[in-house]
Amino acid sequence: MIYSSELIKGTLKTIVLKLLADNKKMYGYEITQKVKELTSDKIQITEGALYPTLHALEADGLVTTESEFIGKRVRKYYTLSPSGKSKTREKVSELADFMNTMKFLLDIKTV
Amino acid sequence: MYQLSNEQIDFIFNDIRARGVEMESLQNDLLDHVCCIIEQNLEASGNFENFYNNTIKSFYKQHLWEIEEETITLLTFKNYYTMKKLMIISGCASVLFLSLGLFFKFMHWPTAAFQIILGIALASLVFMPLVFTLKIKEKQSLKDKLVLGLGSLVCSALAMHVLFKVMHWPFANLLGMGAMSLLLLVFLPLYFFTGIRNAETKVNTIVSSVLIVLGCGLVLTLVRSPKAGQLQNQRLTASYLRNEKLLSNERIQVAGTGDSKIKNGELQSLGQRIDATCEELKRFVLESETGTAMLVKDAGRELYLQDSWVKDFFESDGRMQTKLQQLSTDWDVYLKLSESESPQSQTPVFARSVNDLKEERSINALTTLIQMQLFVLQNQKMPIAIR
Repeated sequence: MIYSSELIKGTLKTIVLKLLADNKKMYGYEITQKVKELTSDKIQITEGALYPTLHALEADGLVTTESEFIGKRVRKYYTLSPSGKSKTREKVSELADFMNTMKFLLDIKTV
Repeated sequence: MYQLSNEQIDFIFNDIRARGVEMESLQNDLLDHVCCIIEQNLEASGNFENFYNNTIKSFYKQHLWEIEEETITLLTFKNYYTMKKLMIISGCASVLFLSLGLFFKFMHWPTAAFQIILGIALASLVFMPLVFTLKIKEKQSLKDKLVLGLGSLVCSALAMHVLFKVMHWPFANLLGMGAMSLLLLVFLPLYFFTGIRNAETKVNTIVSSVLIVLGCGLVLTLVRSPKAGQLQNQRLTASYLRNEKLLSNERIQVAGTGDSKIKNGELQSLGQRIDATCEELKRFVLESETGTAMLVKDAGRELYLQDSWVKDFFESDGRMQTKLQQLSTDWDVYLKLSESESPQSQTPVFARSVNDLKEERSINALTTLIQMQLFVLQNQKMPIAIR
């Protein structure tokens, strides 16, 4: 089962921030592959959602970028900034809390 | 694993740009991303072009530039709350400044003009653009966006028109007429026919449209019609010509009485100089107004005073400004001298310094100049004429 984009949309920032916290520096393609791998293809981040989010995180000062030339093309690595690190903790705990609330609200029995 | 050549990388980069992605960092992101996918998933002998076309298609629903649009939306959304706050603050501030300014104006207290200008400028340059930027996001259809865009533009332009008008800046009337035409001929039909089709907005649309027409109608009721303006100008011109006639009659009479009664040589020559300067300034105002100084002799032609503010004329002519300044000084000296000459004479009522003449409309300025000439002439007949 692949999750709907509506579900992913609200959590994408948190996913990206958490991945960067665990992997130091990553580039866009790497992020999509990592998510696919960790979720056994259940979550597939589209390019159309990933890059706008990365640029917004950069504008917010939560991530910084460094460019590296790979032959003729430029690869941009994204890294968490100090404020990004604390934001990640905040976002992850917010999402965990949200999931608990949803469990209660939708009366989901954990198997 | 496929190895991309430099030409292929250039091809992809140009294709991304041709598909409407303009942000350089986004171009690079997408280029690297596509390259990675191709290198990882296409076998060494695979067909590059087919694979590339399929890959790039999977990036978007309709157009590749949607990614850039989404990026820009997210970046502006970041400022959404600040902009919203600024919109409310600027709106309240402009209303406050305008109301206070108007109150000060009617009380004739200082800083009224400053507050009014600030109020109008805030409304048209900060508040209205922010309303537009924030509200456009909520509008779905192109027509709604167009209505909102035109509406905010007209509001700003009308406010600027009033500001330009009170500041005597050029093109004020053009701005006002343009905004009013845009409002009545473009905005209103568009707004009316868009809104009336929707049952939900029908009544509101009719009421607002009636209010807009009423508002414009009331404003236009106050505006003088071109014909009335011409008649008014004819009347003002006739009044000016009568004054000139009085002056020339007076001149003939004074010449008839023979020698001047003024024995003080300095007073005499000062009077002559004032008379000459007044004549020169009148000619300047007339020429600036009508393009010719021969108005008096050419009364039969359709040449009328426009009753403009003479400030605009003087501002563009430094020499005449100096002349006026000199006239003002001469006049003060002249009054003092004539008072000492005949102590029983009284200073004529000129409320302010002659130099303030440049704050007047042309007919008032011309009348004041003629009156000064008349005083000087009458003084020659009888030194105590200054009353």
